[in-house]
This record gives sequence, C-alpha cells and structure tokens, in this order.
Amino acid sequence: MAEQHTIQLTVNGSACSRSVQPRRHLVDFLRQDLGLTGSHLGCEHGVCGACTVELDGHIVRGCLTLAVQAQGRSVRTIEGLSADGDVADLQQAFIRHNALQCGFCTPGMVMAAKELLEKRPQATRAEVREWMSGNYCRCTGYHAIVDAICETLASRSAQAAQAAA
Amino acid sequence: MKAPAFDYTRPRTLAEVFALLREHGDDARLLAGGQTLLATLNMRLSEPRLLIDITGLPGLADIAVREGRLHVGALATHSAIEASALVAEHAPLLAMAAPHIAHRAIRNSGTWGGSIAYGDPAAEWPCCLVALDGRVHVQGPGGARQIAAVDFFQDLYTTALQPDEVVTGACVPVAARGNWFGFDELSRRHGDYAVAGLAVAAHFDGGVATRVNLGFLGVGATPVRARRAEALLAGKVLDAAAIEIAATALKAELDPVGDLTSGADTKRHLATVLLRRLLGAAQASRSALAA
Amino acid sequence: MELNGDVLVAAPRPQVWAALNDPEVLRLCIPGCEAMALAGEHEMTATVAVKLGPVRARFNGRVRLHDVRPGEGCTLQFEGQGGAAGMARGESRVQLADEPGGTRVSYQTQASVAGKLGQVGGRMIDAAARQMADQFFAAFQASLAPPQAAAEAAPAAGVDAPAAAEARIASDAPSPPATQGAAAATAPAAITARRALPPTPTAPAAPAGEASRVLWFVLGALSTGFGVWLGRALFS
Repeated sequence: MAEQHTIQLTVNGSACSRSVQPRRHLVDFLRQDLGLTGSHLGCEHGVCGACTVELDGHIVRGCLTLAVQAQGRSVRTIEGLSADGDVADLQQAFIRHNALQCGFCTPGMVMAAKELLEKRPQATRAEVREWMSGNYCRCTGYHAIVDAICETLASRSAQAAQAAA
Repeated sequence: MKAPAFDYTRPRTLAEVFALLREHGDDARLLAGGQTLLATLNMRLSEPRLLIDITGLPGLADIAVREGRLHVGALATHSAIEASALVAEHAPLLAMAAPHIAHRAIRNSGTWGGSIAYGDPAAEWPCCLVALDGRVHVQGPGGARQIAAVDFFQDLYTTALQPDEVVTGACVPVAARGNWFGFDELSRRHGDYAVAGLAVAAHFDGGVATRVNLGFLGVGATPVRARRAEALLAGKVLDAAAIEIAATALKAELDPVGDLTSGADTKRHLATVLLRRLLGAAQASRSALAA
Repeated sequence: MELNGDVLVAAPRPQVWAALNDPEVLRLCIPGCEAMALAGEHEMTATVAVKLGPVRARFNGRVRLHDVRPGEGCTLQFEGQGGAAGMARGESRVQLADEPGGTRVSYQTQASVAGKLGQVGGRMIDAAARQMADQFFAAFQASLAPPQAAAEAAPAAGVDAPAAAEARIASDAPSPPATQGAAAATAPAAITARRALPPTPTAPAAPAGEASRVLWFVLGALSTGFGVWLGRALFS
C-alpha cells in the first residue's frame, strides 16, 4: 500500500517534479519537500486558514488538498505572491496598520485577501469581514487586518477610477 | 493530524470507477473536492485503503439548461455555482445559498455532488434541492436513474445512493415569472454549520402566494419540507396574520433533535424567526412591485 | 449528552428479557457490532464498526453492570476508547415494564466525551444516537415477531420492510435501504426478520448471570457509547 506517485506541477512559476505518498497534504509537500515554509499549519481540518495557498489561480486549503491532486496544476504560495508583487500594496497596508504581530496567520490572510481584491473589488467592510472569517488570528483582534484590506480596496478603486478618467 | 496511508487512483471513465468500487467495496472512497473526506481522514475518523479521484471524469462539471430544468453536474464547485450566470438567472436560490457554504477556500474545491451525496442535514444544497423539488441523478453499473430530492435524503447521512453508485448531478426547475426565492441561515459564526436555515421557493399571482415551498436545514435528520405550514400559506396574501398562523403550525410540525449548543426548542424557535424574516421579505418585495 | 427514550416492544416481558439476554440477537441487532465477549462477572467488551456519513471507525468498549434486577432493569456504566479521537464514558439506566401490547423498554442515558470527540462532536451526537437507537430497536423487534404474522403485517404497514430488516441485520451495508428510518420510527412491530437470526424464543428460561448482563451491556453500549462515539465523527 501507499506506493509513491510522481507528480509534476508548477510551483511559484517553476516546474517541479517529485515523488510523494498519496497521503501527503499539499501544504506539507510545499513546506517539507520544497522548503516553502511561508504556508503554515494550524488545525489540519480546514477551518483556521493558516494553510491557504493558491491552486490554479484560486485559494484552497493546503491541508485539505493532497499533493497528488496538484498533478499538472499550478500552485502559488505566499513566497511566489510576494515575489510577483501582486499584492505589494496590501502587504504595505498590513505593515502600516500593524495587521500582524506573530505573523503566523499572515500568509493565509494575505492569500485570502488577494482573492477578495480580485473577485470582490467593491466589497464593503461587512463583506470583507465575512470573506476573511475563514482565517483565524490569535493576536491582532482582526480590526487592523480588515482596515488594511479596506484601505487597499479603496486605493485600488481610486486608481481604477483615475485610470478610467 | 496527518491522514493515514492510502492508495490513490484517478480513473478516466465511470466504468473504471464502478470496477474499482466492485473490487474494493467500502475500503475505497470517492474523492471529488475532498473538503469533507480529507478532513475526516486528517482526524483519523476513517482509514480507507484507496481514494478514487473522480475529478478526471469528463462532462460532470457542466451547468446547463435542458428541457425547462437547470442541470448542475456533480463536479461543479460551490464557487462555480456561485459565479454562474445561468444559475443566477435560472436558479437564483442556489446563488443566494452558495455564499453561506463554509468559506471561500473551501467553496473553491468542494462540489455540488459531494454535498448531495453526504446529505448533511445542515448542508445548503440538499435543503435547496428539497425546496425546489429537484432531482438527483445517479449512475451505477446497472445504469442511470433519477431520484426526487424529497425521496433521496432519507435519514441522518443516509441517502438513496447505493454503495456502487455515483452522484452525477442534480437538476431543478428553471425559475419562472412570479417566482420568489429567499435563503437565510443562522449560525454562531459565519461559515459554521448552521443551527437552522430556510430556503423559500414561492410563486405569486398578483399579491397572493399561490405556492410557498419551505425547505429547512439543521432541524432534522434530513432537510425538511414544512408541509403543514406550506399548506396554510398557499393561496394567501403573506400578511402578518398569515405568517403567524404558519409560524404556529411550524412549531408543532418540526421535531428537531437538539445538540450541544442548541436545544430542540431553540431550533424550533429559530425556524420561526427565519420564516418570519423571509416571508416578510417576500411580502415586502411583492408590495414594492405592486407600488 | 442525554439520550432518553422508550420503545414498546410487541412481546411479553419475559420474552423480551430472554431475547435481550441472547448475545447472538444483540450482536446482530446492534448496528456494526463485530464482537462481544465476557471480560469478567459483571463486565463485557465489544467491538463495533461505525459507518455514518464519511466516518468509518472501530470502537472498543467496556461495560460494567450494576443493580441487575432480572426481568426488570439494570444500570450500566460504559466506557469507550476511540483511539486517536478520544474517549467517552457514561451511564445508562434501563427498565422493562408490562404494558398493553407488550413490554415498555425505557432507557435514560447520560454521557460525556473527552479528546477530539469533545472538540469536534456535539452537532450530531443526539441525532446519531437517536438513529442508532431506532435501528437497534427495529432490529430487536423484528427478532421477536413471529415470521408469519410479521410478513402479513408488513404490507399493511406500507413499509418495504423485509429487505430493510434483512439488509440491516445480516449485512454490513453502510447505507440502510430506503425505508429503514421510517420503519424504525413508525412500525417496528411489522418488520420481518429473515435469516441469520435465531428462532423466536418461546418459553423464557430467564438465563441468569452472564447472559443477562450481555443484554444490559448492549443496551448501555447502544445508548451510551454509540451516540457519543458518533458525536466525535461529526463536525461542528
């Protein structure tokens, strides 16, 4: 039982090929096989959001995805997102608002917020809170995180309006 | 925790799936979105020998309108349903319910068919199917069949799906003129399994509700149609008096089992809260139309 | 959690007592029961495989019996180990009473959970326990019904019962067939049991000692352990 599977996938833009056991979670694969420790493990049953990564352009729970399910697909972690600069404005807003203390939840928060910025550019504060409720933080009390996201939404809207004008 | 060891295969045809199920029986589990199954494995509450990944089966993720019904394939993700223009137009109840399912990351992976096959009494899709008089499509080695949603969900985590069958999709009637839909659920935190929820599918003729389907989640071992309350609402104007009569009947009709956080009486009460909220909204929207 | 209930079993009290004393009947009536064994004078162990929703779990439990009043009632103290998921313990009081139509079997159960069970469970414990109790008593009643009378009664009850009882009792099928829930709730008396069950006990020879403890153990196991065990399976 549990023969290894060879998987070929793209991680943060680079092709990679590894042999894994089917039971290996995607987040463990990223952390342990590829050394990408920016994604974290909290609850291992999908509720805390610390393991949130991007798979084929949308966020998933790394603890509820098997590495073998990523065969032939494209994964982006916080490392890749940072390197690509997609959410530099959001990350700066996090720093300005002190939206991280220990930083454990932060990669998951940024991942989840990234998809909100893409899919819900008009989100209200209440909608931001609802969207982000799948990511737990034990340090900040959440308001600073919501502030940072709302500020980023507002500045992106303003930029889009300016560009259109 | 980490999942126990298992083998993994990703067949390309249903025939292969049936052969694997025949060979392995309950030692094999179907894997689609995995948002329930993998959490279960992570908690070591199941230790199957083999996972059969069915996401490679062609044509099972489609959303289409055929012969007056909206068909949603089993592999359609919750997010895809949430974003679908066809769903928004032809089955707006589903679009209303989708954002209540867990959280975004889970909705991006979890599937329509998975939710239906498990039949959790607090899940949104089984409740919507029952409210809409939908039909569940399944396929087995002996062929395909369709089962009315009200007959499909039979008891706690017990559906009409046989061990050698696969849910291939489910369909609902397309929305028609005069239809009104509403969905709401109450939970301690957003994304939790709901303590109680309600899906309303109604038809209005002028100011009168000719038909009001009430599908409740979280108040029984399966999604529940409140038939007695429905009968009292049919043919009525949904004014405060009619709603109160229905709420009283609802309290007598429902037989919820309590849980650690909410007793049976609490669930009964919350069901009436949802009833008043949604029927009040329905009436307000009809009045707005008439005005 | 608390699980209180009662069931009217359509058989005289001594016959109910005797059937509940029959380990083979009990093993077949408890959903998923794989093994039962004596562990001491007032102790039993059992292994039960539970299938509910996504959960597949094997539990090992132990029950100690107290206050045994043959033909009348007993108290069971129960403890179950679910491996990594945690454990549960509880107590169940069971009474038999004569009633027109048969025997009223009443049970009152209290249980608590520890470990992952306590963390994750709760949402479904009571509903699952109720379902398991229904399944047990439906199967148990079926074991008592004279096969002919039950076969006549089944169509009248409008329930597709024979297949249901057969599958439930004789196999390990994970999904009980269509009408089992309805059958359990409405017409336990009408269910026909076929194959794998011992013949209906006639003269109750009231077997004393170990056999009677098996009965009470099982009732306790059912009402205490199952609901709690299952609770851990189901996510809040």
